[in-house]
Amino acid sequence: MSDRRDPLRVEYGAGGDGPRVVRQPPPPGAASFAATYVVPGGWAFDPTHREGVARVVSESMISAAGAWDRMELARRLDRAGATLSSQASPESAEVTIWGPASEWGPLTQLLAEVVRRPRFAADDIGRVVRQIRERQLREITQPGSRADRELLRRIYPGGHPYGVSGLGTARSIARLTRADLVKFHRERYLDAAGLFVATGPESLEAVERRAAQLFGKATGSEAPWPFSGAPAGRSGGVHRVPMAGRSQVEVRLGGPSIPRSDPRYPAAFLANEVLGGRPLLGRLFQRVRERSGLAYHASSELEAMRFGGYWVAHAGTGADRWRRVVPMVRSEVVRVGATNVAAGELDAIRESAIGEIPLSLETTTEAHELAVDLAYHRLPADTWVGWPAVLRGISPGEVRDAARVALDPDQAVTVIAGPLGAH
Amino acid sequence: MSSTAFRPAVRRFSLPNGLRVVLAPSDDSPTASVWVWYRVGSKNERPGITGASHWVEHMLFQGSPKYGKGEIDRAVVGVGGALNAFTDTDFTAYFTTVPRAHLAVPLDIEADRMTRAKIEDAEVERERTVIHSEREGNENWPEFRVEEELYQLAFRHHPYRWDALGRRLDIEQMTPEELRDYYRTYYGPKNATLVIAGGFDLRPTEREVRRRFSRIPGTGASVEVADVEPAATGPRQSDLAGPGTTPYVEVGWRAPALDDPATPATMLIDALLGGETRLFAAGSFWGRSGEHPTSRLYRALVDPGLAVRAGSDWRPRTYPSLFTVHALAARGVRLERLEAAIDRAVGRLARDGPTASEMRELRTKIERGRALAYEGATRVGFRLGYFETVGPPGLEDRLYNTLRRTSAKEVRERARSLFDRQHRVTVRYSPAPERSDE
Repeated sequence: MSDRRDPLRVEYGAGGDGPRVVRQPPPPGAASFAATYVVPGGWAFDPTHREGVARVVSESMISAAGAWDRMELARRLDRAGATLSSQASPESAEVTIWGPASEWGPLTQLLAEVVRRPRFAADDIGRVVRQIRERQLREITQPGSRADRELLRRIYPGGHPYGVSGLGTARSIARLTRADLVKFHRERYLDAAGLFVATGPESLEAVERRAAQLFGKATGSEAPWPFSGAPAGRSGGVHRVPMAGRSQVEVRLGGPSIPRSDPRYPAAFLANEVLGGRPLLGRLFQRVRERSGLAYHASSELEAMRFGGYWVAHAGTGADRWRRVVPMVRSEVVRVGATNVAAGELDAIRESAIGEIPLSLETTTEAHELAVDLAYHRLPADTWVGWPAVLRGISPGEVRDAARVALDPDQAVTVIAGPLGAH
Repeated sequence: MSSTAFRPAVRRFSLPNGLRVVLAPSDDSPTASVWVWYRVGSKNERPGITGASHWVEHMLFQGSPKYGKGEIDRAVVGVGGALNAFTDTDFTAYFTTVPRAHLAVPLDIEADRMTRAKIEDAEVERERTVIHSEREGNENWPEFRVEEELYQLAFRHHPYRWDALGRRLDIEQMTPEELRDYYRTYYGPKNATLVIAGGFDLRPTEREVRRRFSRIPGTGASVEVADVEPAATGPRQSDLAGPGTTPYVEVGWRAPALDDPATPATMLIDALLGGETRLFAAGSFWGRSGEHPTSRLYRALVDPGLAVRAGSDWRPRTYPSLFTVHALAARGVRLERLEAAIDRAVGRLARDGPTASEMRELRTKIERGRALAYEGATRVGFRLGYFETVGPPGLEDRLYNTLRRTSAKEVRERARSLFDRQHRVTVRYSPAPERSDE
């Protein structure tokens, strides 16, 4: 019999009359709940010339819904002590509500109203479009976001959803009409298969009943991924983006990577942790900051999504130091795939990753993120329970081999953005 | 309300060397969070050593008798823990959260570095560029430049006039000996509070705290800031230009210190204008992120399309500081229009005060936020340590109770006094034209 109190062990619903359901017990002592509705509504599904619609839908739908205008919706949240948020990614979109467990009923009702009956009032659309336009501009003028943007569009060119931020362009968002939003919402939120994840004291049966009652049976099936094949990015190359008047130079080195479902993912996860993903222990932090004192931040990330992925090594440094930092970052990327990580180093990294699991369960919102991640990738219900054993079973050779594929320096692109100096 | 994660029961005591200790055990917590709060921050600095508090904070990770360089990180992260520190105007706080079985690790570290951090010359030099880099990263943001300028403009005598990161020149020129001297002066049990929250047993942990920390000599000075900022004699304004694409404005007014009777009404003004309930917001240290559509500034600036973002900011400080309002212009909107809209919004509050409905909604929001503010050992450690450090005992309850009692009339009176044009400080940021590829 499964332990229904361990937040590491989620429960999958039987798949009855409602959306796919996943339930997670709350962390010990928590008095709140969190619930998320996930749909295949990421910006991969933006129609041509309507780039940005997934973001505009995601951000404007939480403004007003059903009988509630913006003020009434916001007041209801404040009165309940709740938070409502939405986000879109390349593949999916989600709406999350968090609040006191005692308000489970009315707050899940509110979530469903927002998901199923957003108003898309003209004022709200206008406001969101203005805000997105400002973020488009900032994406170009901030060295950090500019470096990310230049890197990703080179790894995944041609408008691939992993290669863009989903903000669209000035022209594409200016062109959006309410009808575009309504159509996108109907296709991607109402007709497509949804996923409901709840973290809290309600039983799985109660969550299933509630989900069926609120969301009904989605008639659609899983949305086919509109992009196929390996990215056609130009490998290699160093791209400089001079940006006068800034103080810090942002360095990025990255390339395409594996999807989450790849059997090498756990080893690739560890390879990235060794490189720079593990806070304070990663090689980039140790070499660039701790030993050389060249940067405030130096780290790496592995974004393994459902249909593909990418990896990025980051550092922020001064105009007089970036020339030393770039080869240093590159050499660490090469090293992690060229030689076996020492047993002691690997042990420290993986025990750290295992040890931090209880920290991920401090609050309802943190635990909920684990559940949503697991549910989205359709991983087994006890994935997080078995995660320590999986990590402990990985050898240094497997880490190296996974790094060669998932953090491949031969396919890497380098971007340097900021005050590059007179060189 | 049945559903709360309200403040746990605590045990408070002091050691003979002056260290204040707060223990907040929670049987079912899988983690334990250890916080050490020192009552030293940029308020204790002077020109020439601005940024010293922040730099010392960095150096406390760079070596002490039992922990060589990098070993603190390895000891904590190696058991799956997380650690960090932050420096404010009035305090510096260090925290470590670990799986509960490893509570001894942060206790050992904090006892070791409380008075015996090494702060070696070579490490100071290496860290100098790291701190430069941290500052450079902040300087890339117009909002940082504006805020730094705003405080510089508002304060001519008081140390609140510089940012906790310190001035560039001081970061370049400060010596290792100055840092060691600063550390010796302000770090020690007499100027610190140790907070442990989460999964641990009370009695054995208290014994362990006494064993590890009692032997530390009773050093550490809590020094009052002698500089008093004279009343402003008129409005002040500064115009900045730099990279970017969006005009930005921040306006400040002189605000009361934490122990001023006017503080609760000022907090309510902040919540009315910007929507943040700060210390009484659920689920975060300082307030919830995100938008506040019911707030007055949002309705006055964002809704009609003048700004894409607008809010207010006020944090409790030991000495009188600033209440600020900021707005990021929507495309094509001039800063003058934004400023006029800000003036109208604050003027209306000062003239008419809040409505009864606003006050009712705000009280509910504060009550609800407080009910979930103590979820998780790390947040418990933060809240207990914060209130212990910045104010007298019972501060949180007193603030909360006064907030609930404060009337609309008191808020209006406070707004009239706060938004005095003679105390108004404004910094405008205009983006310099640059080539765009869009």
